[in-house]
Amino acid sequence: MKSCEDLTISQLHHALQSGDVSASEIASATLDNIEKSDPTLNAFTHVTRDRMLCEAAKIDRLRASGGTLPPLAAIPYAVKNLLDVTGEVTLAGASLNSSNPVAKTDAWTVSRLASQGAMLSGMLNMDAYAYGFTTENSHYGVTRNPRDISRIAGGSSGGSAAAVAAGLVHFTLGSDTNGSIRVPSSLSGILGLKPTFGRISRSGSQPFVASLDHIGPMARCAADLSQVYDAMQGTDPHDAFQADKPTTETFSRLTRGQQGLRAAVLGGYFSTWCDEDAKAAVQQVAKALEAQQEVEMPQAELARSAAFVITASEGGNQYLPLLRTIPGQFEPLSRERLLAGAMIPAAWYVQAQRFRHQFQQQVLTLFEHWDILIAPSTPCSATLIGQDIIRINDTDLPTRASMGMLTQPISFLGLPVVSVPIITASGLPIGLQLIAPPWREDLCLRAAWALEQQGLVKVFTSPVTA
Amino acid sequence: MTEIKNMTKGTTVTDWAAYTRQMEAVLGLELDDARRQEVLVQFSRIAQMAEPLMALPLDSRLEIAGVYRA
Repeated sequence: MKSCEDLTISQLHHALQSGDVSASEIASATLDNIEKSDPTLNAFTHVTRDRMLCEAAKIDRLRASGGTLPPLAAIPYAVKNLLDVTGEVTLAGASLNSSNPVAKTDAWTVSRLASQGAMLSGMLNMDAYAYGFTTENSHYGVTRNPRDISRIAGGSSGGSAAAVAAGLVHFTLGSDTNGSIRVPSSLSGILGLKPTFGRISRSGSQPFVASLDHIGPMARCAADLSQVYDAMQGTDPHDAFQADKPTTETFSRLTRGQQGLRAAVLGGYFSTWCDEDAKAAVQQVAKALEAQQEVEMPQAELARSAAFVITASEGGNQYLPLLRTIPGQFEPLSRERLLAGAMIPAAWYVQAQRFRHQFQQQVLTLFEHWDILIAPSTPCSATLIGQDIIRINDTDLPTRASMGMLTQPISFLGLPVVSVPIITASGLPIGLQLIAPPWREDLCLRAAWALEQQGLVKVFTSPVTA
Repeated sequence: MTEIKNMTKGTTVTDWAAYTRQMEAVLGLELDDARRQEVLVQFSRIAQMAEPLMALPLDSRLEIAGVYRA
């Protein structure tokens, strides 16, 4: 039998059902691997050992009694440390939260996964407050990229990406306000799903920008991503931002692949602000999905600006009281950025929110002709840790703010996206966004699955040892 | 206060230092010179982003993309 981390969720489920492996064995192996790898990677801020062993014992008892195993039984996972976990402090990457009381209940998504049998191994590192794209955290350390440990894993869900890429868990949860699932998925060479805005409950997560925050899964293949996404769908009456939409099961639709999918490449802004590796990756995916036409998303650059203004303003306001009282406890890399955001004139913020409406009306017409739009997830592959500048389109750009410049217009629209990794000529991965119409997560997951069937997308684990 | 850049007409003044100093007082913040300078750098970056956005004419009936439901 292959080692557990090389199996998909379905394969591991089958191995558990047939008695080839027990949940307790999976849990112990997972915890051992984390213990060996994490001193180098720094993906975890906290390992929930006792909880994981408890959840494993429960699954083993259920199996021994002949009970039906739930779909995610004994699947190891971990969550970005901005989702509440019962009995643990939610840090949101910020040491100023470290003396907060522990969470009394699980976040809605964590509770759904627990009810489906998944085993929580721990909570993951991130950029402080989810404000950044590099997971270079002054208080909790930098998370290293398993594909090359001298490089960033991306952010803000950097721990979530690194844990999956290193094979420590089958999937993780991240959050995406401006690209924080898609950017680290791109740089760490895994798949990430940012669902439609309002699709998945955010209850029990530390908010950053209420107008833009999404929760979503990260994994090594489309089937795993789809199964986890399906498990997290459902109505949460306590989340005022959740949309009143019926759930759409995706897993059983995957094998339809690209059948009938009309794909096009996003040009203009998206092809201007990326390097040659990203352009080559777009061409490969376009060929595989038979996307022969390039289309424009008008005003994409303005959309990025509007997302930037909304983020700065809501994020700044969120932390203003603590910026007044305990500024010394803030992440120095983002403290003044938050303060500047709190000073934004209301007219700019309202203009950005009104423009969001106009932009949505313009862009939705594209989906009358197309089911999937293709664009790079990041302007380039992973940069070296501490590298402040990336040079794109003959322009020097600040790394921390610019790695998400191609994801921001898409999350501003709230569209569902799967980021799939392609290996570039340099050997480093880069992600491609497969963007679908609102509420059609099934379409971008099918496109990702089709690329796997063609052998273009294939994720291996990169084990890291001390 | 010194001139502030006119964000609707896109004219040229760029003294965000005066604006951020005033906001520092309005928001009850106490910054040293180094932090004040960094706030200015960050605010100027946001202002640069906001300029074309504020220059964009929007239909007078266009409402915000809100989600509030009573």
